[in-house]
This record gives sequence, structure tokens and C-alpha cells, in this order.
Amino acid sequence: MSPDWWLYLSAALFSVGAAGVLLRRNAIVVFMCVELMLNAVNLTLVTFSRINGDLDGQIIAFFVMVVAAAEVVVGLAIIVTIFRTRRTASLDEANLLKY
Amino acid sequence: MSAIVAAAGDITAPSIEYGALAPMLIVFGAALLGVLVEAFVPVAHRFAAQVGLAITAIVAAFVGVVVLAGSHSVLAEGAVANDGPALFIEGTVLALGLASILLLAERSLDAGGSALVAQAAALPGSAAERAQPSDAVQTEAFPLALFALGGMMLFPAANDLLTMFVALEVLSLPLYLLCGLARRRRLLSQEAAVKYFLLGAFSSAFFLYGLALLYGYAGTVRLSGIADATRGSTKSDGLLVIGLALLAVGLLFKLSAVPFHSWTPDVYQGAPTPVTAFMAAGTKVAAFGALLRVLYVGFADVRWDWRPMMWIIAIATMVVGAVLAVTQTDIKRMLAYSSVAHAGFLLTGVIAANKEGLSGTLFYLLAYGFTTIGAFAIVTLVRDAGGEATHLSRWQGLGRRSPLVAGAFAFFLLALAGIPLTSGFAGKFAVFAAAIKGGATPLVVVGVLTSAIAAFFYVKVIVLMFFSEPAADGPTVAIPSPFTAAAVALGLAVTVVLGVMPQPLLDLAQQAAPFVR
Amino acid sequence: MTSLTLNSLALAASHMSTAETVGFWILAPIALLGALGVIFARSAVHAGLLLGLVMLSLGVVYGVQDAQFLMFVQLIVYAGAVMSLFLFVLMLVGIDSSDSLVETLRAQRPLALLLGLGFAVLLVAGIADATTGTTSAGLEEANADGNVLGLAKLLFTRYVFAFELTSALLITAALGAMVLTHREKIGPKLTQKMMMQERVRGGRPSPLPGPGVFARSNAVGTPALLPDGTAASESVSPSVAQTLAGRGVESVVGRHPATIDAQPAPVEPESFEAESFQPETFEAEPFEWAPSSPESPPEPEPATTEEDA
Repeated sequence: MSPDWWLYLSAALFSVGAAGVLLRRNAIVVFMCVELMLNAVNLTLVTFSRINGDLDGQIIAFFVMVVAAAEVVVGLAIIVTIFRTRRTASLDEANLLKY
Repeated sequence: MSAIVAAAGDITAPSIEYGALAPMLIVFGAALLGVLVEAFVPVAHRFAAQVGLAITAIVAAFVGVVVLAGSHSVLAEGAVANDGPALFIEGTVLALGLASILLLAERSLDAGGSALVAQAAALPGSAAERAQPSDAVQTEAFPLALFALGGMMLFPAANDLLTMFVALEVLSLPLYLLCGLARRRRLLSQEAAVKYFLLGAFSSAFFLYGLALLYGYAGTVRLSGIADATRGSTKSDGLLVIGLALLAVGLLFKLSAVPFHSWTPDVYQGAPTPVTAFMAAGTKVAAFGALLRVLYVGFADVRWDWRPMMWIIAIATMVVGAVLAVTQTDIKRMLAYSSVAHAGFLLTGVIAANKEGLSGTLFYLLAYGFTTIGAFAIVTLVRDAGGEATHLSRWQGLGRRSPLVAGAFAFFLLALAGIPLTSGFAGKFAVFAAAIKGGATPLVVVGVLTSAIAAFFYVKVIVLMFFSEPAADGPTVAIPSPFTAAAVALGLAVTVVLGVMPQPLLDLAQQAAPFVR
Repeated sequence: MTSLTLNSLALAASHMSTAETVGFWILAPIALLGALGVIFARSAVHAGLLLGLVMLSLGVVYGVQDAQFLMFVQLIVYAGAVMSLFLFVLMLVGIDSSDSLVETLRAQRPLALLLGLGFAVLLVAGIADATTGTTSAGLEEANADGNVLGLAKLLFTRYVFAFELTSALLITAALGAMVLTHREKIGPKLTQKMMMQERVRGGRPSPLPGPGVFARSNAVGTPALLPDGTAASESVSPSVAQTLAGRGVESVVGRHPATIDAQPAPVEPESFEAESFQPETFEAEPFEWAPSSPESPPEPEPATTEEDA
């Protein structure tokens, strides 16, 4: 058994997250699925860092975490704003923009 | 403990070339100052202070880019490339950013004041919002726009994928926020912000996964390192191909190529029009710059891996953009689909994968950016009681009522259609010629055919404006302040000059051509 | 000699140790099942908690893979800060906002699942194709001075520009959150003296009556009763009605307490007027009205303080 198994795990997690984004309607849950994808990416990076024998992968994972934290703040602020206006976080009801 | 100190002593201080990085640092510094302005300048003076600060910074940064012209080096420990294409795009983005700031600074069009909301935190229609003084504006938009501008400058100049990713986020996050700040039709605007945000975060996750796989393949995220790895490698290409494909998803989303374009019409329609202009022009230029660098520096030697896929995407983008634009009834959505179609035309230049493709794409980007900003600037002028009258039927007979504005808009549309003697023609000619030289003739045939379809709906709008009776309760054309007038004039001037004599700028783009490795 | 040592090291590192194998078979199912739970849980809170579980297990995975610093960052920043922010917002938005099962896009669900599955197969096949037979170099050398020091060296040399750049992101985030949620005060701040004057001249110097207190109904939404049995409309804060209406809760605001259980309430926009209550209905169930209730109800919010942000 080799470290590749971690890569398979992360590929599976990433796909689950991607499917979740397409599947779910609640904006906050959709956003959680995006976070799941980012976590899967971090697992890939950490594993490759070990396979490659340098720490660049871990540094990149660290940056991903920082960026994700900033993204979470902005995203949740936007979601809270639209919730305060519309009283729903369902993406089905965000339907004013259609042609 | 002493061991740690001793080991830490091994770190040599990184060398950062502040002079060569000055254009970006000026823009980021001005954004920081803008945040301080929000904190310390009295409300009455904030707007003027923010506009003055932003314009000064952009002009100073532009001067910096001009001074740096001709440099060919790698900065900040290899994180940032300082070469011809990067500087060309930085200059373009700065000029487009200046025009966008001018549009944002407009306050005399709407009876309600600026296009930006007075207080984003006050619920639309609530008592708290009605209590806002009419001259109140959420002036934080200016530092946000400057942050986005800084990200747009860095995005195409990033020399490793990590810096590129951080730059992508630096340019995206402020835009997500800016989208939700429209004064009129705020529900639409907030909806646009949520859609843009969720899809943007989704696409940047793909970018990141691609980055991770490429790191696994090459052991580095530096583009030159990846190029070296692709050259000498005997490894299986699985990671390389999947990694590049996922990376491309993130980039193609930003430049709204089909099938990653679905956010474009919604966001362009919902966002405040000055912000739409900024996104449509700036983001597209920056994202194409980044795509060019990734493909031409990192993956030039495996172009047989990416070209077939890009062919399909380019054809789909041109066809879908042009066909769907025909069916639109809203002027902002129509311009959005037109920007999708233009992404397809630009991709033909990218696919050429030669020096002409690079310089042609650079030229096209500049021409397209100014035309788009000009067109959106005119959209802000045509108004009725409910704000901007964006429905196409409202534009009926506009040419009879205000021939000047309608004429300028018609000229922008002709440029977007690529009629000779406009910048659009010169740009299309440049990328199509490059594509033929690069062996992509079928792509050019599709490009010409879709151009014809696209010309149909541009001309349809022109006919609507000039050859039909104006409606009795039609919109009026507001008299712009010097800010918007300057933005329109800038767009018009660039479109005319590049249409009549494109050669100087084409030469400049050709000189800019080689990327630093 | 040296190369021989390195080779054997590499060989040792290229395969998981037994402990790691055991760890994998414990952690991987937890992470994967948690992830599946995130996308299938009906309740958003369950999804959030399961995501927290995935993040915790990934934190342990980082520890197993010689990334000690990242393990702690994952636990503190992701599982700690980011997840609590998510849950905080979920509570703010309302935990009852579960997903609707109405299909707005036909065949979206099976299609999404199919796409996800296909994507997973593609990724796993690609990775398997590319990485089988590669040896893992291991991090013994890179972590020789300790993981944190090794990371610091890279962070402050090769990646220093990106590091500085993240400050722009963090400022953007702070500024954005301020813009979207902070409401700036318009007009002068009311002093105590001004409030006092306003109150005395406003026609009602005495405190507003408190709402009724009844065990079986939503007390703050139930009006107090005047001696003649009519409801005192002033005793219910308008913001209560607004909030209840916004949540879609069928409001009992302003209705006479005795009517609340007696019959299903007419669903109509609630008005605070006392007229909306019918005296006939409450005769069916007489009630005690004690003016000298030992519990003094809390003073309701004055109607003017609407700025609850």
C-alpha cells in the first residue's frame, strides 16, 4: 500500500464536493461543499508534498487555508445580506435573473 | 532553542525589487489609503477624496508601467514576471480601470445619486434606507475597486501558479462584493453577487485542484519549472493533462468561455453598470493574460495536448455567444453574450500558439476593453423613471431623439461587430491571421461565420435605434457629468484611432511579445 | 554507502507503515462518509457538523503525513474558526431552512450524481495511471530542522510575495463584511436629555404596557389586556410581528389571548389594532386578569428603536 491511497481519497472527496455543489439548493450548504473541495485539494497537496519530498505542497495548502478563510468571510457576508433581504437562502428562489 | 535560532539564521532575506514592482504596489497602497480615508475623513469629503486618490494612483501606476517598458526580468524571488506581455496588460488594465473609476465617480445621472448604493447594510425598501440622505454613497467601493485592479494587474504577471491563484482571489473577492452594491434593483444586484460568488468559488476550487496535480507532476508550481518537467519527463502524462484541464476550467470561467459562461449574463445584468463595465473589460483582459502566460510559458511544449480541447471550447464559445446574443431583449444581457462571443474570438488567437497569436490577442484585448467600457458607459446614460432603461424595446428611436449618444453607441456596436475602420476589425484581423498561420484555419472559418451572426444582432440594435419611431414614454438621455463623458470619449477615441491606424499599437504588441521564462 | 542508505530510506518511505495503513482505513471511511453526509443531509446544520467531522479527520491525516503545522492550522482555523462561522451564520439565517425537494431543473439530481461519479472515476484513473510505481521521497530531509522551521524558510523566501499579497485578501474580507453588515449612523446621536424631552413631549410619558404573559402562547406577541377586556395594542412591539411574519410563523400578535387556541387563526397580514379581536369568542373561556401580577413584564422596546443592527 502506497501513499497514492491518500490521493484517491482526496479525489473522491473532491468529486463528492463537486456533486454537492450541483445537487444542493441552500446557498450555505453549497458553499460548504466548496469548502469540502478545498479541503480535498489540501489533502492532495500534503500528500504530493510527501511524495515529492519538499515542503512546497504544504506551503501551498497553508495559502489555500488563508484564502479560504477570507473567502468564507466575504461569501457568508453576501449570503447573510441576501437572506436579510429575501428571508431565504434557497437558490431556487434567487430567480429574478432569467431571460 | 539555540538550535532553532541557529537554523533560522540560515534564511537569507529575500530580494524584492520594489522599483520594478512599483505599479502594483502603488495601486495596492492607494487601496490601503482608501480604507484609511473611510476611517478618518469626514463623510462630506469622502467621495471626493476617494475619487481623487484612485485616479491619482492609477495615473501614477500607469506612468510606472510606461517607465518600466522594455524590461524583461523576474521579480520577487521568481513570483512575478516583469516582461512585455505583463506590462502591456498592466497598462491596458490600468487604463480600463481609470475609465471604470470615472464611471463609478458619476453622481449626476440618477436623481438618487450615484449608481452605488447609499448603505449596503440598510435593507432595500426599509425605513432605514429611506432615511438615507440622497448624496450618501457607499464609498468603500473605491478601495475595493482598487484592490480588484491590483489583482488584475498581478494575475497576468504571476510567474508561479500559487501567486496566480492568490491574485485570482484578490481580483475576485472585491468584485463579488461590488456586484451587490447597485442602488436601483438591489435584489437583482444581490442575486448577481451570490451567483457570481458561488460559481466563482466553485471554479477556483477546480483551479486549485489543477494546481495541486501539476505540483504533483512537476514538483514545483513555477511555470518555467513545469515547462522543464514537461520537456524532459518520461512520466505518464495523466497528472499533467488532468491538472492542466482543471486549471483551465478556473481560467476559462473568469474569461466566460462556454460551458463556463452561465454566470456572465446574470452577473452583468445584475451588477451596477459601472461595475459591469469594469468586470467585462478588466477581468477579461486579466484572465486572458493569465491564460496566455500559462499556456505559452508552462505548456508550450505540450500544445498538442491542449489544443484540441481549446478548439472545441473556442468553437462552442463563438457559436453559443453569438446565437444566444441574438435572442436577448435586454441590452446588458446582449452585451454579456457578445462578450462571450468575443472570448471565443480571442481564444482563436490563443490557440494559434505563435508570436503573432500573442501580439494579436494583446491588441484585440485592448481594443475590446475600451469598446466595451464605452458601450456600458452609454447604457448608464439612457434612463427612465426606474433607473437605466435596459430593455431593448425602450431603445426604439433613440437615434431620433438624441443622435449623438445613439451614434456613439452605434459606433461601439459596429466596433464589436468588427466592421472595417473600427478597432474591432483590426483586432479580429490580427487574431484570425495568427490563427491561420498557426494552422487553425477551420477555426477562423467558424470565427468569420459567427462574426456574421453577431453582426446581425448589432445591426438589429442600430436599426432599432435609428429607423423606428420613438415610443411616447421612452427613456431620456441624461446629461453626463465630465466623468462619464470622459470615459465615453476615451472609449470612442481608442476605438477610432485603433481602427484608422492600428499599426503603431500592433508594433507595440509585437515588441512586447516574448514571455520571460 | 550514502546512496545505499538513501535508497533504503526512500524505499521505506514509499510504502505506508503499518500504523499509517491502519490510520488510513480508519480515517478514510470517516472522511468519505462524512462528505457524503454533507451532500445528503436534509438539515443544513447536520451538513455543517458533518463537514466539521471531515475537517477534523483531515487534520489527523495531515498529522500522519508529517505536516504537523498544517494539522494544527487545520484544527484551529478550519475546524475551529471557519466551521463555527458557518454554524453561526446558519443559526442566524434560521436552522429550519432545509432544502426543498421540489425539482426545479428536471433530472438535476441524477445528473449531478452521475457527473460527480464520472469525475471521480476520471480523477482516480488519471492519478492511478500517473502515480503507480513512483516512489515517495518522504519528508525526513525537508523536516530535518522541524516542520515549522522548514515551512517558515519557504514562506519568507520563495513565497514571500504571495504571503504579502494575502494581506490584500484579508483587508478585502474585513472591508466587505463591514460594507454589507455595518450600518452607519445617520444624524446626531441622541443624548439622554433629548430622549427625555422627546418622551415627555411625545404625549406618553409613562412606559408602554408590557405584553401579556400566558404560558400557552408566544408571550411577547400577545397583547396585554386593558381593564375592560380589550387588548392594548401598544403592548406589543412592532418588531416582534415583523420577525414572526418574516419567518413565516403564523403570528398571534395582537390577537386576544383567549382566541389563540380556540380556533385556527385567520391567515392574514397582522395588524396591531385591537379592533381585530372579537369579544364574543373570549366569553367561551373566561380568564383571570390580575392587575397586580407579581411578575412585572419587561419593558417593551420603544417603537422608535428599530435599528437593531
